[in-house]
Amino acid sequence: MKKVITGNHAVSYGAMLARAQVIAAYPITPQTTIVEHLADFTADGQLDARFINVESEHSAMAASVGASAAGARAFTASSSHGLALMHEMLHVAAGSRLPIVMANVNRALGTNWNLWADQTDSLSQRDTGWLQFYCESNQEALDTVIQAYRVSEQVLVPSMICLDAFFISHTAEIVDIPDKALVDSYLPECNLVYRLDPANPCTLYGVTSAEFYYEFRYKLHKAMEDAIRVAREADDEFREMFGRSYGLVEQYRMEDAELVLVTSGTAASTSRLVIDELRERGERVGMLRIRMFRPFPAEEIRNALRGAQRVAVMDRNMSPGQGGIMAQELRSALCNTPDRPPVYGFVVGLGGRDITTDVVHRVIEEALATDIPEDIIWMGVKV
Amino acid sequence: MPLRGKPTTEAEKIVFRHEAELPPMTRSMGTVLINKTGSWRYLRPVYEEKTPPCRDACPAGIDIQGFVDMLARGEPLEAWRLIRESSPLPGVCGRVCPHPCERSCNRGEFDEAISIHALERLAADRALNEGVGEEPRAPKEEERVAIIGSGPAGLSCAHFLGREGYGVTVFEALPRPGGMLRVGIPEYRLPRTVLDKEIADIEALGVSFQTGARIGDIGELADYDAIFVATGAHKSRSLNIPGEDAAGVIPGVEFLKNLNLGGKNQAGERVLVVGGGNTAIDAARSALRLGARTTIVYRRTREEMPAIEEEIEAALAEGVDILYLATPRMALVKDGRVAQVGLIKTELAEPDETGRRRPVEVAGSEFMIEADTVITALGEAPDLSFLPEHAGLSEEPREIDGTPVFGGGDAFTGAGTVVHAIASGRRGARAIISRLAGAGVAHEPPGPVVPFESVNTACFARQPAVRMPEVPVAERVSGFAEVNRGLPLTDGLEEAKRCFSCGVCNLCDNCLIFCPDIAVIRLNDSYEIDYDYCKGCGICAVECPGNVISLVEEER
Repeated sequence: MKKVITGNHAVSYGAMLARAQVIAAYPITPQTTIVEHLADFTADGQLDARFINVESEHSAMAASVGASAAGARAFTASSSHGLALMHEMLHVAAGSRLPIVMANVNRALGTNWNLWADQTDSLSQRDTGWLQFYCESNQEALDTVIQAYRVSEQVLVPSMICLDAFFISHTAEIVDIPDKALVDSYLPECNLVYRLDPANPCTLYGVTSAEFYYEFRYKLHKAMEDAIRVAREADDEFREMFGRSYGLVEQYRMEDAELVLVTSGTAASTSRLVIDELRERGERVGMLRIRMFRPFPAEEIRNALRGAQRVAVMDRNMSPGQGGIMAQELRSALCNTPDRPPVYGFVVGLGGRDITTDVVHRVIEEALATDIPEDIIWMGVKV
Repeated sequence: MPLRGKPTTEAEKIVFRHEAELPPMTRSMGTVLINKTGSWRYLRPVYEEKTPPCRDACPAGIDIQGFVDMLARGEPLEAWRLIRESSPLPGVCGRVCPHPCERSCNRGEFDEAISIHALERLAADRALNEGVGEEPRAPKEEERVAIIGSGPAGLSCAHFLGREGYGVTVFEALPRPGGMLRVGIPEYRLPRTVLDKEIADIEALGVSFQTGARIGDIGELADYDAIFVATGAHKSRSLNIPGEDAAGVIPGVEFLKNLNLGGKNQAGERVLVVGGGNTAIDAARSALRLGARTTIVYRRTREEMPAIEEEIEAALAEGVDILYLATPRMALVKDGRVAQVGLIKTELAEPDETGRRRPVEVAGSEFMIEADTVITALGEAPDLSFLPEHAGLSEEPREIDGTPVFGGGDAFTGAGTVVHAIASGRRGARAIISRLAGAGVAHEPPGPVVPFESVNTACFARQPAVRMPEVPVAERVSGFAEVNRGLPLTDGLEEAKRCFSCGVCNLCDNCLIFCPDIAVIRLNDSYEIDYDYCKGCGICAVECPGNVISLVEEER
């Protein structure tokens, strides 16, 4: 069934179709309508779940940890400061190997106070041990929630689905809402082997000394590595069943591309228009969209960039003192590769500033015009 | 207790050598019960029921929280039975008691006090309307007790003696039992069906009433094993002004008695009532109902008036005038009957020994007021002329001609309230039983009273109290039908649910829910703490809505 809905409501539909059993959430702009809609689904019986109103995001994640530890499929959503407040519990969820799925609407962090799109909130959580997916459309947001449960429950690592504030969260577009029975056959019931069960008491997440802490971290990393294969399989099977797939990274008109524009989120849609225009003029440009950021699909990216002369990364995020975070990750993935292309790190669109086709054109022109790039290229800063 | 999952042989022990043997997260199948975290505790929570302030304030010590809880559970007859453990007159007190309990109610500091008064009446009215009363029984003890006076003190004493199986005879000088309840309190406050029902319940206990039997000399009762004197206070204090002996000047208690017992109307057209207590208000509202223009004159202000606040309000609403800060100096008599009263204005000086500010006359401020009837209500004194001279009266027994004589109620204390008289009668019964049975009666000392600050108000939502509806003024002043309508049952049961249950566990489960160590165990009608695991964090004591749980220091 097709409906015109916002990205936030698409996420709500995703969680509903995935049959989330416990939703613990605290409101924050621009996330609130995700859990509001889930509260409606719960109230009207479309979703058989326990909705827990909590007093903070820290508690939202703590309650999700409890629910998941008891074997329930847990869902929550947050954004920006709410996600920052969850930080400690994000580590707990991942270290406890709980397959919680959370939507994060990417919003800038204060101060200076700002409600608009910026990926720094979720990228600040990259080391907490969560899978991270960055979505480009409302449809992808819905589909990724369902895929994420499938991946998380197999590898026992939680998932964060990231969507740009307002460009996705509050913009309505046509979304194909999958058939419930089909989702059921794609996503089996949550059946966790390691969980709290009164019939078989155990203590979970106890103290671990140096003797084995290291091994547990190693295992978490191995699970992340495994997630690359599992996510690819999940995406492939999704295509077979639903007719849509997204890949871990998306390659667009990459054949013979000399310059590759690397982007993520909604900026990719704008970039596509520019790439088409330049291709029509005969320029050899292509685009690589990073959808999965954790685990970082380094090998897939290296393969995709083989042959590229220059790589221009557009980061709608910034690590003060270092620069765009995706550019750093990309450089780190390439640095041991012989004949690696130079990486141009553009910082664009912070705090919701529009990334227009004009901005994308200038990014590409700048990358083509400079042989040796600066570490950070500020695009459009008023200096 | 065996440790679940504890390996019994070396072979069963799990030894991890490398990461592949590890589960994804730390997990122990051993029990955590071996870790007796109770050893961390330096404060020990204990269930320690305390005294709710309402019960503390009730002279009769009625288990108010208990009967309100029964109402909240939808058991009005059980509530009625519980009240009768402390008072035989819930229907009477539910109407005429000044209800000090409500002034002490902790909920009053949160929003509004529980309407305890109305709830007591509700419980009694359910028993009355459903025809539920005391089962008739005969005395089983040999000893016989005489009670002089059938007012609330005498009735209360008879009730508590009758319940213990003593043979009791109540002597009443007037033709009907009830004392001041029958002759002093107007019918619009206390319908006689209610009084008759509660007296019948006492009679069912094997108590016999001899009415029209004035005891001229206590020696007439020499055959009894004990005597309880509860003759009340019926002698009015006089005005001590010129003209006081004229026709039309009547003591308030006499005016009320003649009206209530014989239907005699002694009110003229213009009535002046002197005094500020409940007798003054009762007389004024009665005179008004008899068609007189009625004014109360009181020598202090509204602040100092000892009458029940709601009664003053009702009198004003019905059209009684109150003239404050004035006192009569003389009655002007015309054709043998009072025609005018000379008054003088007063002002308040420093407080006297009662703590109230003393009125002093203002020189030169005399004025006259028309009145063909003056009703005096300046307080009543007991008449103990039937006792031997210098015999005195006390709650402690006095031997008169070899018989122990106990005193109670207004005859002993001076004019008080119905609930004080009930309490006094109960103490009298206890003292008599103690004397006759030759054994002390166990008397539990009350626990500490729960202050408002100890109530966990976070557990409660603000909700106004439910009040008894009243008959509209225009309707009620035309007769003596009851003014207050009782609470509808559903309203009453809802009102009862507002109770904080101060100091008394009502099994709300908060301690059970909040204990982070799962150390609270629910039993059938109480809880138990597993001190092996209670860390003494005190959350249970904080979360207990009614301050039932106390924290005491562990002894080392």
